[in-house]
Amino acid sequence: MKFDISGNPAYGDLTVALEAGETFWSEGGAMSRMSSHLELKTRLVSGLVKSVVRRLVGGESLLISEYTAAQMAFVSLTPSCPGTILHRRMNGDRFYLTAGSFLACTPNMELQTKFGGLRSFFSGEGAFLIEISGSGDLFFNSFGGVVEKDVNGELVVDTGHVVAFEPTLSYTIGGMGGIKQTMFSGEGLVMRFNGRGKLFLQTRQLPALAGWLTPYCR
Amino acid sequence: MNIEILSKGAFESALVQLEHGDELISDAGAMYRASANVDIDVTTRSRGKGGLLAGVKRLLSGNTFFLSTYRTTDGQRGEVGLAPTHQGEIFVIDVEPSTPWICAGGSFLGCSSGLQVDTQFQGLKGFVSGESLFFVEVSGSGQLLVNAFGRIVESDVDHSLTVDTGHLVAFQKSLQYSMTKAGGSWMQSWLAGEGIVMNFSGQGSILTQSHNPTEFGKRLGPLLPTRKQ
Repeated sequence: MKFDISGNPAYGDLTVALEAGETFWSEGGAMSRMSSHLELKTRLVSGLVKSVVRRLVGGESLLISEYTAAQMAFVSLTPSCPGTILHRRMNGDRFYLTAGSFLACTPNMELQTKFGGLRSFFSGEGAFLIEISGSGDLFFNSFGGVVEKDVNGELVVDTGHVVAFEPTLSYTIGGMGGIKQTMFSGEGLVMRFNGRGKLFLQTRQLPALAGWLTPYCR
Repeated sequence: MNIEILSKGAFESALVQLEHGDELISDAGAMYRASANVDIDVTTRSRGKGGLLAGVKRLLSGNTFFLSTYRTTDGQRGEVGLAPTHQGEIFVIDVEPSTPWICAGGSFLGCSSGLQVDTQFQGLKGFVSGESLFFVEVSGSGQLLVNAFGRIVESDVDHSLTVDTGHLVAFQKSLQYSMTKAGGSWMQSWLAGEGIVMNFSGQGSILTQSHNPTEFGKRLGPLLPTRKQ
């Protein structure tokens, strides 16, 4: 299996070359073009109930698209939002993605939805995380460009800008400053990361774009 | 006529140099700058094939009702800048008489006047897809400008290629296609969120866009206020 990411930072797309007998998973609706003989099936990852929960709360498709090659084939995959695609090699470890950041992975990885806590629920952002575990190649995406930050100690970030982070980081969700600052600074809720590990941030957020666009929608 | 693509990358535009006697046709509203000696004429008809019906067909194809025609008035050289409505790349296609091109509705940005622009009803084939109800056929000899949502990738079809309807920009008419399902069954395909795809066969070129407006709309739409009726 060979991977090629092109078009970063604005229009990342992923092309996967499959050998005979190989399988690949993606978020539903991500396929832009593929070999005609490639077999596409939908698949419930981690059972029906968990899949339904993931669909309802995680923002990702209820079902994963599974591509199986009977002979050499290719498939091109794109996230729904213009932005950057990143690759991560998983070696039996865990990784956290925010809702909407999952694009694709090699088969048999475990995808689970994690509730980010009650406070995150009210922020309307980052309320749910997807926990990925297992071994293989993972591809995830941002809206806009990506800033990769090595956290060592503490870092404060806006919840809507978080794409992914390593499990060695812990976080709390809260306001920035007092109640006045939280309500009027426009920052809303922030995540305070602690520990040592990699944090991936996106340079734009979709709810903010929608907010800017709203007055122009007639 | 000379075409230059400006601002390479995420937000491209086209600058077209017109010699005396040259004519440029564009999607109405695509012009963002022009030299003072350029005259604009708005028509409801494409060259050759005229009348109100052709305009209505164009309207239905997702393109505006009118096409604009630009020419210089004083015998001097002039220029017209064209910008698409959405972000992405622009591609210049050299159309030859032997191989007309088909553009998905909304991908047509402009062309030289030596080309005929005709909307081509796809019947039920187009209707089922829910996207690109109409295609625009461009034939003759000249240069065609297409725009896209995101990056444009050119694929040469040898035997077969499957393309999601939301990613199609344009293809050579020498290719045959059928609308079909991506998955093993209609239910599988629908559940996967892939819906309808186009299966191309034969020999020819296809342009696809990296991003799918429908998929982006699915994400952005719920965050916007409900549309006023």
